[in-house]
Amino acid sequence: MSVEINRVSKRFGALTVVDGVSVDIRDGEFFVMLGSSGCGKTTTLRMVAGLEMPSAGSIRIKGRDVTYAEPRNRDIAMAFQDYGLYPHMTVEQNIEFPLKVRKVAEGERKAKVRDIAERLGIAEFLARRPMQLSGGQRQRVSLARALVRNPHVFLMDEPLSNLDAKLRATMRAEIKQLVSRLGITTIYVTHDQIEAMAMADRIAVMSNGRMVQIGSPLEVYDRPKTKFVAGFMGAPPMNLFRGANVNGRVTATIQPFADGLSDDDRASAAALGGAEFHVGIRPEHLVLGATGMPGVVNAQVAFVEPLGANTNVYLTVGELSFVANVERTSHKAGDVVEVAARPGHLRLVTGDEVVPAA
Amino acid sequence: MAATDFSFAENRQPRHPARLLKAAAAYLAALLATAFFAFPVYWMVASALKSDVDVAAYPPRWSFEPTLQNFHKLFNELGAWQAFQNSLFIVGIATCLAMIFGTMAAYALARFDIGGKNVMAFEILSVRMLPPIVSVIPLFIIARQLGLFDTPWLLIAVYVLNGLPFVVWVMRVFIQEVPQSIEEAALIDGCSRYECFWRITLPLLLPGLAATMVIVFMFAWNEYLLASILTSRDARTLPVIAASAIQPKAISWGLSSAAGVIMSLPVVVLVLLMQRYLVRGLTLGAVKG
Repeated sequence: MSVEINRVSKRFGALTVVDGVSVDIRDGEFFVMLGSSGCGKTTTLRMVAGLEMPSAGSIRIKGRDVTYAEPRNRDIAMAFQDYGLYPHMTVEQNIEFPLKVRKVAEGERKAKVRDIAERLGIAEFLARRPMQLSGGQRQRVSLARALVRNPHVFLMDEPLSNLDAKLRATMRAEIKQLVSRLGITTIYVTHDQIEAMAMADRIAVMSNGRMVQIGSPLEVYDRPKTKFVAGFMGAPPMNLFRGANVNGRVTATIQPFADGLSDDDRASAAALGGAEFHVGIRPEHLVLGATGMPGVVNAQVAFVEPLGANTNVYLTVGELSFVANVERTSHKAGDVVEVAARPGHLRLVTGDEVVPAA
Repeated sequence: MAATDFSFAENRQPRHPARLLKAAAAYLAALLATAFFAFPVYWMVASALKSDVDVAAYPPRWSFEPTLQNFHKLFNELGAWQAFQNSLFIVGIATCLAMIFGTMAAYALARFDIGGKNVMAFEILSVRMLPPIVSVIPLFIIARQLGLFDTPWLLIAVYVLNGLPFVVWVMRVFIQEVPQSIEEAALIDGCSRYECFWRITLPLLLPGLAATMVIVFMFAWNEYLLASILTSRDARTLPVIAASAIQPKAISWGLSSAAGVIMSLPVVVLVLLMQRYLVRGLTLGAVKG
């Protein structure tokens, strides 16, 4: 294991920011911590970096306990949201700095700086100062500075959120390619679920200081365990229908959807007893005009959002509203359509208070 | 810069005399303001170079035979050279110590989680809340007891204590303005806290340090009250000498002006030396973001 985080907590006075987080991150893995602001993802990252001391728990890197070690003794590098470049040094001096501090010989230093600068396409800016660069260039310099000494673990704290959308998409692909080619274990913090989906080998969705679900991007997307994860991943998010256990039968606010659950899911739902649970279906797994399919529901079209490649159709059944994501459609607001869930795509999603068995 | 704009306006847009007038008015205003602030300086230098007769003449004489007799008297009869050396020694050391300790304290207050640090900062400031005259008698007694009276060390201690609160409070703000991620990057890049402070934070603080240092230096350099009471002969500083030009019977304007000139010189030199950093302070602000 590359990084082992073991029941780590962080409290500031009465406030618990990180609440008993445990995860093992594998060698060379791209691990993303995803969550909205205040969920504890950055604090967790900072504890791995040694910039924050845990209130409880332990952290190991390469098998060595570094819980209270200084940042410089952890064999890590970090990229910051605001880049953290040294404004009084040139780009070259910035990239060279970690080598210089570690007393690497000058010849080797220069060669390494040149090599990484060329790899990141910033070789022509070496003589400039950070303030003479654009945001994207600055972030490249900060990546170069982090990668120049070949760290064991690379930590990134929302490195792309100060860039505009287009640049973000390019940099996203670049970073992913670069670190997977170098084979460096990476822990990446973001609030952007698309970034997480696109880059991660595994995602940890965080909420209220806990890792609510850890899994591969598609696993987390396809089988969100809790209401929070279901709502956080995907745009528009997963449709949820409140479920209940009535006389040994699993019900939902739209009954055909409850009936469409797999046998396993139905058994788990029954095991939840009176605890909160929902039946979930992704918008793209709803079929409109599903005459003849099992479990058809009549729904009214509230409004239609054509997005070009596909279309969001907002539907209502009585008081309930939900979204279907379909190809181009001729349905208009007011139409009544027959809706059905594609078989095998209905999911059991627990309420947030129900702690999933990890 | 403004001058080129001016000629541009003249060459290319002769139809806009209003612009020309505006520029001329701006120059005039600038000249007047400069004259207003420069005149006292001129007057001091001129009076220092006048003979006793010229300086007392009314209406004031604009043309006169410059003489160095005031400076002569200052150095030969009043011991200004000794006082100048004392001042330089005392104020120089006091400024350095106040800057070093003050900046380190400010760094701790700005960056570390210390319990009750606001109370601490306030307590440091409270040193400055008493009027200095209140502390003169106790200081005098303490100095006598310790055998420090009329030594440079006493004034050094007093000036360090006087300058410290100012340094702590001003440098604290300057340090807080250095983005934390820069320091954190340095810590991760391989620096200890100490190295990080020296190699990263301190260079970024130079403009702030320069400005603070000039002010602390000036406070101590011009300080009269404590210097006059806590020294008698050996440790006398320049302000005390300058004040001795004011006698019960008559004020020797030429002499005190000469003392004023001598006293101004080191401050002017210091500001000129620091100018590079003071100006850099303006451009450094553009780095963040």
